[in-house]
Amino acid sequence: MKLNRREFLALGVKATAGSVIFAACGLPERELVVQSPIDMPEDLVRGEDAWYATTWPDMPGGDGLLVRVMEGRAKKIAGNPDHPVNLGKASARHDAAIQLTYHPDRIREPLHRVSKSGEYDSISWGRAERILQDAVEAGTGNMAVVTNPLNGHSGWVASSFAALLGGRHLTFDPVEQGALQNAMRFLYDQEQLPHLDLKSAKTILSVGADWLSTWQSSVGYSVQYGQFRSSHDRGYFIHAEPRMSMTAANADLWLPVMPGYEGHLAMSIASVIVSERLVSSAEISRFFSKIPQPALVGFIPEDVEERIGVSADKIRQAARKFAENRPSIAFAGGSAGGHANGSFNIAAVYALNTLVSAIGAEGGVHYNPTTALQGIEPKSNGASFSDWEVELAHWRAQNVETVIIRGADIVHGLPDSVGARGAMDNVPTVIGFGTVMNDTLANCDLILPEKSFMESWDTSIPEPSPGYQTVTIQQPVIPATVSYTDGLLSDSRSFGDVLLWAAGGALGADDMEEIVERATEELYALDRGSVSASSERLFKHGVLQRGGWWDIDSAPNTSSDADLPNIFDLERAQHFSSTDALGDGHDFHLMPFLSNSLYEGRLSATPFANQNPDPMSSAAWSTWAEINSHEAEELGIKQGDVLFIKSTSGEIEALAYPTPAGRPGVIGIPIGLGHQHGGRYNEGTGANVLSILAPEVDAESGALAWAATKVRVARSGRRREVPKFEGEVTAFPVEPGVPVLVVAPGQSAHDAEVENHHKYQQNFLLPDSNEAPPEDH
Amino acid sequence: MTLQREKRQFSWGMAVDVDKCTGCQACVLACQAENNIPLNTPERFERARVMSWIRVERYWEGEFPDIKARFIPIMCQHCENAPCEPVCPVFATYHNQEGMNVQVYNRCVGTRYCANGCPYMVRFFNYWEPVWPEALRNHLNPDVTVRSRGIMEKCSFCIQRIRRGVRKAERENRELLDGEIQTACSQACPTDALNFGNLADPESKVSKMKNDDRQYTLLPHLATDPNVVYLAKIDPEKAVKGGSSHG
Amino acid sequence: MQQRRTIDQIHTNRVLLNGQLDTPKWWAPTVIGLGFIVIIGFLVIGIMVNKGLGVTGLSRPVFWGLFITTFVFWVGISHAGIMISAILRLSQAEWRRPVTRAAELLTVFSLLTALLFPLMHAGRPWRIVYYILPYDFARGIYPNIRSPLIWDPVAISTYLTGSTLFLYIALLPDLGNLRDRTSGWQNALYTVLALGWRGNPRQWKLQTVGGILLSALMLPIFVSVHSIVSWDFAVTPAVEGWHSTIFAPYFVIGAVHSGVSAVVTMMALMRWLWKWEDFIRPEHFDALARLLIVVATGWLAFTFLELIFAVYGLDAPELALREMQIFQWPWWLLFVTFVLTGYVIPVGMWLQKRVRNNIALMFWSSIFVNIGMWLERFLIIVPGLARKTPFVYTWESYRPSGLEWFILFWSLTWVTFLMLLFARFFPLVPLFEQKESQTFGDSIKIGRARVPAILREAD
Ligand SMILES: Nc1nc2c(c(=O)[nH]1)N[C@H]1C(S)=C(S)[C@@H](COP(=O)(O)OP(=O)(O)OC[C@H]3O[C@@H](n4cnc5c(=O)[nH]c(N)nc54)[C@H](O)[C@@H]3O)O[C@H]1N2
Ligand SMILES: Nc1nc2c(c(=O)[nH]1)N[C@H]1C(S)=C(S)[C@@H](COP(=O)(O)OP(=O)(O)OC[C@H]3O[C@@H](n4cnc5c(=O)[nH]c(N)nc54)[C@H](O)[C@@H]3O)O[C@H]1N2
Ligand code: SF4
Ligand code: SF4
Ligand code: SF4
Ligand code: SF4
Repeated sequence: MKLNRREFLALGVKATAGSVIFAACGLPERELVVQSPIDMPEDLVRGEDAWYATTWPDMPGGDGLLVRVMEGRAKKIAGNPDHPVNLGKASARHDAAIQLTYHPDRIREPLHRVSKSGEYDSISWGRAERILQDAVEAGTGNMAVVTNPLNGHSGWVASSFAALLGGRHLTFDPVEQGALQNAMRFLYDQEQLPHLDLKSAKTILSVGADWLSTWQSSVGYSVQYGQFRSSHDRGYFIHAEPRMSMTAANADLWLPVMPGYEGHLAMSIASVIVSERLVSSAEISRFFSKIPQPALVGFIPEDVEERIGVSADKIRQAARKFAENRPSIAFAGGSAGGHANGSFNIAAVYALNTLVSAIGAEGGVHYNPTTALQGIEPKSNGASFSDWEVELAHWRAQNVETVIIRGADIVHGLPDSVGARGAMDNVPTVIGFGTVMNDTLANCDLILPEKSFMESWDTSIPEPSPGYQTVTIQQPVIPATVSYTDGLLSDSRSFGDVLLWAAGGALGADDMEEIVERATEELYALDRGSVSASSERLFKHGVLQRGGWWDIDSAPNTSSDADLPNIFDLERAQHFSSTDALGDGHDFHLMPFLSNSLYEGRLSATPFANQNPDPMSSAAWSTWAEINSHEAEELGIKQGDVLFIKSTSGEIEALAYPTPAGRPGVIGIPIGLGHQHGGRYNEGTGANVLSILAPEVDAESGALAWAATKVRVARSGRRREVPKFEGEVTAFPVEPGVPVLVVAPGQSAHDAEVENHHKYQQNFLLPDSNEAPPEDH
Repeated sequence: MTLQREKRQFSWGMAVDVDKCTGCQACVLACQAENNIPLNTPERFERARVMSWIRVERYWEGEFPDIKARFIPIMCQHCENAPCEPVCPVFATYHNQEGMNVQVYNRCVGTRYCANGCPYMVRFFNYWEPVWPEALRNHLNPDVTVRSRGIMEKCSFCIQRIRRGVRKAERENRELLDGEIQTACSQACPTDALNFGNLADPESKVSKMKNDDRQYTLLPHLATDPNVVYLAKIDPEKAVKGGSSHG
Repeated sequence: MQQRRTIDQIHTNRVLLNGQLDTPKWWAPTVIGLGFIVIIGFLVIGIMVNKGLGVTGLSRPVFWGLFITTFVFWVGISHAGIMISAILRLSQAEWRRPVTRAAELLTVFSLLTALLFPLMHAGRPWRIVYYILPYDFARGIYPNIRSPLIWDPVAISTYLTGSTLFLYIALLPDLGNLRDRTSGWQNALYTVLALGWRGNPRQWKLQTVGGILLSALMLPIFVSVHSIVSWDFAVTPAVEGWHSTIFAPYFVIGAVHSGVSAVVTMMALMRWLWKWEDFIRPEHFDALARLLIVVATGWLAFTFLELIFAVYGLDAPELALREMQIFQWPWWLLFVTFVLTGYVIPVGMWLQKRVRNNIALMFWSSIFVNIGMWLERFLIIVPGLARKTPFVYTWESYRPSGLEWFILFWSLTWVTFLMLLFARFFPLVPLFEQKESQTFGDSIKIGRARVPAILREAD
């Protein structure tokens, strides 16, 4: 595009003239400037970018991340290709996390609560430090440190700090995996969760765990799922869950099991395998090494199909595939563990692995090694619900002087019935750390602005690890952000740094950087693993560049022929909360589920996470309720009806979303919204389903039975359009194979298209409708 | 008008393995973040004005309990014979020499004709001036224009990444490696359902996938000759129910 | 058939120039009232330009809505001019004489109005600098001549120019007439405009030849204008219900249907407002109604052909579209109204002689037609987008915003406003034509019947 001077000037004149005329109409100047009208601006990119490796320990899975940085600003978060857990991949949650750092309502400076009604003074860090110090002194001997499960050194700092002052460190996870942890101890006496070798399996049987979306290391599992589907016969995937979750939607066979009967389903599958002798007698006898033979008698599919809610044919089909199409792997988690008999449900499913010798085998279950770092033991689950009830009792009884909270929104996450907010009010000083406000922070006496994960140092051990020792390093990839017009975006400090400061050197380090430094030295001393360097300095650089350290040779040997304990020892009576005396309406089984993009609410402040459509309903910015569309029709419930969802512990409102995939009798409601505090994008949107969970527990582990609540549902009479991406018509294809073409194994796309064309024509009585599809053309 | 794919140095294309797509929506948000797509406020959802250069459609087949959900990611198909191009009165959308349908924002007059012309519904119009709170502007991608109201926009195959990638290879004077350039969506996609590459290179992964038995294109009867190809979903039960209109 | 009164020229002048020489009482208040609405309308448009198109009910996939519908509607109305003045003139249908000018005027004003809508629709009018103007020679960029959106303005502006010239030429003798009857500034104005018209034989000859030439020139435009408008839709294979093959002729005949009906509406109004019973007479309405029966029926044939072609392909989304358009609430209601008002009711009325000669009934029937014709355009444009392609997941509906409805209403008042304004300064009925027609004054004998000569084809 050559321009001589006169033409260029002429252009200039046009442009300015335009501006002058239209600036008058109050139109943005830039809309009027005539730029190059032939190039796509993106054709000319300027500047250099850098990708730094780090991680976000607050998101389960411990995925390695790369952050694209230009001019001191983080631009994009992506997976770290070197990292063994997620191999360069990421989830929507990781992209959304960037807005936790750049949130317009990020907490800018320390806030001191002047009245319980929630008025705050902005104070200097100097004053904040004094308040903190006083609180710590006062709290010595009777204080608590509360965090989310932290599988790294900040977790260690929290525990050590609490220990130092004779207090407790409690971790909090609203959707508890306690039953799972318990089952792992019971079956394999393992503390760490096992590694699941999904990619090499041929048949996957998963129960309750939404592992492609939110369960544990979902990104890593999704990567493995891709490899699993790439195998020459693409594998066979069976999933049992009461609700059609994103994971269930990808299963070749979905077993819509009755909530709470996951364990019975597993035993029914076992009974088929045993009675039909689908596996070797050695395997069968290993299965029965502790379990009494007659235990399975009561689980013949035809007898239990009613109770379990899955047809006998499907149970048998699943059993045969699982037993014959090997290697197979079975695992459970999520809602399967959220029941009064949660531990049993999960143990029963894992027990199936013994029947197909999947323990320690390729494509099976592998134990994870103990960590490579001293004194760091990863925890995916928090203190159990029972522990929390005890703890809060202490608070209420004013036995606790000081509480320090970080990354755990207990007010939002614990059922209203336990009254977390009230308990906090009985603690003289509650100190909270955070980047953006949430319901718990808003109830603290001192709120300290925390550095985001992109601004601070930490380590993280993936839980579960990929079968061998892995340490991920979190490093500050951007400096504290100075915003264009009004100064520092947030005058924040890292949680670890502040605790270390408060400990006054008693923890042997001044800040997290020093601690991470030590960790790398520790790893260097091991003299093995992914990074080998001639000097400590080079080693550290290597680790920071790769995003961490791992040693594929550190895999422990998993005893493949260990006896199977008697899982029936874990069995407990089925129990659900009652719905009598909840007024009029219809009873449903409440199935809360983690939001694919908000998680449990960790990201609900960010517009990115709020706007990302839900995989199944495509809804956003709201709390909806999935019910079977036929059932909805019978109850006269239409899409967008505002429903009252009542339980023994409370009532919320949700927008009805009838779906053809819903299990009759089950109502699915996403977790993550319904905050009173959380910034401009979050406040007052949706409802908090966690608040109405009944205090049922898994008797074995004391974990909250968060899937054992029954609710009564009634129409409010109000309607509101469900904010969703899907159009106004329920998306059944109007033409087979358009746009999603489905082929039978081995069938070519072309054949499928021809077949579909004829199937389509048969909808109309056309002359040629009886003709067989032509072989070729 | 444009060269055939083989004759080009680069002919960018995407191969989508529908069988691997789990519907996780990672691609959707990755694209939002990479390309400065305006925030999708609740109002945009309620008034059907959501902007999502790549979308994951979820279709139902059959009835409970044998119902199946089918996911398919759809972005601009970068048609060689693009129905959106001839209708644009001002050449604001045209085909470049690398097989891409590109959009010149500052030439667009906002007729929205191209959006009607596009059979794949991948064009999005800025009905409002996008609002970016100052703090959030920090993460805007400096390589990508921040569009104003009244302008049509769509998937650009992350052209800014392509330019950087090619420039890098040239600087280090070497051949560009297959898979070296990743679009934001394909980079995020955990199952590798999305694959981006050079269709002019017969050895590239996308070229190989294009020759797969399961390969098909969307709405072939419209003869748009897309540069995005799909690999069919495999269903062992092949339960293709709900064929006739359930509308 | 009643005998036709002969009207002497004095009377003709006095009555037909009453608009200019002694303005009726109602004129000022009406024009002021309309003017008020017109101004509000421009303010509303200004707000929309300033705030952005978010204020409309448009969405994805319904990118085009009320504005484009109304654009097509006004272009349709504009066919009144060509039909009456060009075609009837060439075929020398005598009865056309009193209404030619009004028809041409309607053409000019409705075209001017139609042109406003694409500008509003695009949202940022000043951007049109990139549009039809090949301003960018420097970079060798021209508009894309493959796009119908380029040919729309070309065809329409050609038509506009043609009509304006035609109008002016036909106006010359009357301007001369007015010049001789006015004084002061009006006289000055008419003197300039009359271009020294003296009414000598040479001027008369030139004026007549010019008129005939322009009529002939306008015939191709007659076909082209609405064909091209129809191609805005017909070239779009993506949109079901748009990529129809018979749109060009279908749109043209539809345009004539609505245009001629609009002329009827206008004649009725003129007859009432200026008391021109002597000049605009039942026979005229009768003749127009007969013409309309033919046009409407031809148009109806196209309407159903279009449906049948569409359905015959058994294209899934096409079927879904028609299912929605004809059977689903609220669309079916619009569809039924469209068929009733567009054809069944008016033609049903026109078939009876007493209706054809009853001005009031003719007035209402013509109003019906244009309600129906507006709905026709709406039912072609919007449902197609709401059910576009087999991507069921993206199917959405369209709820026009109050602002869009207001602008539609505004465009009606705007055209009326312009017409009344014009009527104040220029005669709506061409005097010279009127007088000329007197020369064919007698009635003639066909077989036994005596027929008023206005129906006679002059030699
Ligand atoms: N599958 C299928 N195929 C069909 C049909 C069908 O229904 N289905 N219909 C058939 C029928 S009926 C027809 S008529 C044909 C139409 O087939 P074609 O005759 O090919 O029709 P177009 O492609 O519209 O016009 C051909 C070329 O004329 C150019 N052109 C336009 N104006 C002019 C001009 O003024 N001068 C010159 N020299 N060139 C100009 C256009 O740019 C275009 O490139 O298609 C036939 N093919
Ligand atoms: N938008 C647009 N309009 C055009 C053209 C264009 O290119 N684009 N081209 C113009 C030209 S050149 C032509 S010739 C006309 C053609 O205009 P049409 O005559 O309408 O031609 P088609 O649309 O091809 O066919 C009409 C219908 O016939 C159906 N049909 C197919 N086979 C049969 C059969 O065996 N029997 C019967 N009864 N019906 C059948 C088709 O499915 C279709 O629905 O369109 C003109 N108009
Ligand atoms: S997909 Fe649509 S926008 Fe993209 S090139 Fe094709 S027609 Fe144009
Ligand atoms: S909206 Fe913009 S790109 Fe689309 S056709 Fe109109 S001017 Fe061209
Ligand atoms: S290629 Fe780039 S622009 Fe296109 S959808 Fe993917 S991420 Fe978005
Ligand atoms: S990221 Fe990949 S798997 Fe997830 S929705 Fe997009 S295409 Fe599907």
